[in-house]
Amino acid sequence: MKPLVLTLRQRPKQRLDLSPLVPHLLAGKTASQIERIALQTTRQSVDVAEIFRVRMGDVERILIEGACERFDHVGQSMTGGEIRVDGDVGTQAGRLMAGGRLVIRGNAGPWAASGMRGGEFQILGGAGDHLGAPLAGEMTGMRGGVVVVRGPAGERAGDRMRRGTMIIEGKSGAYTGSRMIAGTLLVLDQAGPLPGFLMKRGTIVLAEGSGELSPTFLDCGQHQLLAMKLWSEFIRPYSKRAASLLKRSLRRLAGDMAVLGKGEIFIGKRN
Amino acid sequence: MLTRIANGRVIDPANNRDAVGDLWIRDGRIIEVPPGDRPDATYDATGKIVMAGAIDIHSHIAGWNVNTARLLLPEYHRAAAPRPIATPLSKAGWSTFETGCRYAEMGFTTVVEPAVSPHYALHAHLELADVPIIDKAILVILGNDDYLLRLLQANESDAAISDYVAWTLEMSRSLGVKVVNAGGAAAFKENVRAFSFDDVVPSYGVSSRRIVKALQHAVTALGVPHPLHVHCNNLGLAGNFETALTTIAAAEDLPLHLAHLQFYGYGKEGDRGFSSAAAPLAAAVNAANTVTADVGQVMFGQTVTISSDVLRQFNARKQASPRKWVILDSDANGAGIVPYDYRRNNFYNAVQWAVGLELFLLIEDPRRVFFTTDHPNGAPFTAYPEIFALLMSRERRAQWLAELPPEALAVTTLPAITREYSLGEIATMTRAAPGRLLGLRDRGHLGAGAVADVAVYEDDADRAKMFRAAALVFKDGELVVRDGRVTQHRWGRALTVRPERDAAIDRRMKAYYEDRYGLSDDFVKVPEHVLGRPDPFERVPCVS
Repeated sequence: MKPLVLTLRQRPKQRLDLSPLVPHLLAGKTASQIERIALQTTRQSVDVAEIFRVRMGDVERILIEGACERFDHVGQSMTGGEIRVDGDVGTQAGRLMAGGRLVIRGNAGPWAASGMRGGEFQILGGAGDHLGAPLAGEMTGMRGGVVVVRGPAGERAGDRMRRGTMIIEGKSGAYTGSRMIAGTLLVLDQAGPLPGFLMKRGTIVLAEGSGELSPTFLDCGQHQLLAMKLWSEFIRPYSKRAASLLKRSLRRLAGDMAVLGKGEIFIGKRN
Repeated sequence: MLTRIANGRVIDPANNRDAVGDLWIRDGRIIEVPPGDRPDATYDATGKIVMAGAIDIHSHIAGWNVNTARLLLPEYHRAAAPRPIATPLSKAGWSTFETGCRYAEMGFTTVVEPAVSPHYALHAHLELADVPIIDKAILVILGNDDYLLRLLQANESDAAISDYVAWTLEMSRSLGVKVVNAGGAAAFKENVRAFSFDDVVPSYGVSSRRIVKALQHAVTALGVPHPLHVHCNNLGLAGNFETALTTIAAAEDLPLHLAHLQFYGYGKEGDRGFSSAAAPLAAAVNAANTVTADVGQVMFGQTVTISSDVLRQFNARKQASPRKWVILDSDANGAGIVPYDYRRNNFYNAVQWAVGLELFLLIEDPRRVFFTTDHPNGAPFTAYPEIFALLMSRERRAQWLAELPPEALAVTTLPAITREYSLGEIATMTRAAPGRLLGLRDRGHLGAGAVADVAVYEDDADRAKMFRAAALVFKDGELVVRDGRVTQHRWGRALTVRPERDAAIDRRMKAYYEDRYGLSDDFVKVPEHVLGRPDPFERVPCVS
């Protein structure tokens, strides 16, 4: 069966909340019911039909053709199925996602994958600040699943991460993996200043190191660990470059000693 | 404007009235039946219950602690926005504006914010000025402040202390004085982590007892109607009922009010070393004629504890749920914000719930026990209707008891208590008595000349439903709530007292703030014009 296709008619005049357009919420709905779903975030009401041309298909596979940075909460809380988006999306894409597959062929705004619990989330462009991070007041960020960003990520990627895997193939901003509680985070290009700031546990791998490392990390020397080889096999389907990085000899730093100090940063090149 | 509320059952224990009849209001005051005049508006209250507007004497609704709690828990604001009722702690996310509306919808017309540090009084008043409909007041906190402790250390005269208390009351525009863990917060700064009634504050050499007694004498001597409002030492600890008994004994025939007594009703019996000691505590309150108490009832659910008892909150920080907290070890009392989830299946929480109800039911005189949950420390104030229902129905209590851990009930006397509150006793506890306790002679009753704050309820057998949504509420004679919904927003006043004092204290305080803080004493003052409302204050007379 063909996927459900939503083709952009016009750029919306306001930010839209696309969280209703996920497979488990669309299950059992007819095309006309889907067209009447409200997406507005202001008092001016906007429904799906006004923004998209709807071509009905299997709601387990949703294709959004043409998007813009005003589309917020894309794939929020999705539990299964697949959503593919051609274009950029706004804030909190894939927030609280628990399962399924979300692919953005474009850039994502801030708080993408915020508090994600499971599933696979790919961003082919770049991600904004706070990738996987909690919103204000929440205790943990990403809690499971895999996030792959082919481009760069902004500041505080992986903030308060608790579990799961995050792969950033481009550069990352300042405070990458700040306050990490556990989980794993890889950056295949240069990381911004102070990676792993106040991390308690967890693993960060930086292929190209960071311009500025916190003095509260202790150098443990070069290692080629068996665990890394096993991990490499897990990573390979998501990122071949990340998989080959893990087979190299890596320099290990333990920290952040300013807090619990059970975390680690591995660096691919000497700096 | 002449208004008639017709044919309701008027329950006004202050004037010994409980009969079906009319209530007349002219220009914001209750009047006697006017001869011959035709009312401009008549509201039919047939089959309904008419009471004075309720008064809450202890509810943390404004000030820096409340705001710090809001800042600590932003996720609850967000969660509350789309689905206000289903969300945990949806109640703590409230704005000041909603606070006024929700109180009014339950028929409350006057609420006291009981813990304001003098240096933050301006903030509290600015926030209270944004609470619509209801009248409000603050109690100012003294007892851990450097100035008072120095006066005591230097053995200064009673008059010097009274002048200082009078000065603080006027500057902060307060209705009374509260003392929170007297000396405990000052001792906390010197790394003391346990502090009882006869312990001595390091550096100052003053005992908690001496602070409480000095403030009690000052408040009495100044003629402030509300007695000293005491938050005792050792809050929340097993065996702390003895601290409360010691404090009650120290009242010595002068008026003293004990806040949230439930949190002091714990013994050390049983396998877990934690039990209800409500019975001896209630007996002590019954025997001490000058002592009054409010309960601070616990109800199950997520809430946040906010307190100026920084020592206690520091010791409780590990119990935070969610696991985050704020301890501010600052000027005078400081503050502690610890989120907490009271759970029905938790032994300790179940005992706490039972202790509160035992106190309500075992303290015989409804004029000396006051209705509070110490909002939001025991429960949010929206839990009140359910508590009224529990007090009024033995059966309802039995239903709740059946769901609690039996080992918790075994260390309380609640299952054996058969008393049920009558509507008259509820009216006494929430209207007549608080009006008298705060010295508000024209509130809490429906006699001629009283402020026309009136709540009309459906006489529903489900008392919780009845008290949750008043059928009609009048504030100063204006209809503000109909069928449990606010129909009109207006602004209430803040109630203050202004006892006489020697002018010398003003010069002394000016010099103190210059010398100690390098600041003008202006920063303690609450100027009327900044509140941006006409007549923001109403002065309550002192007792001579």
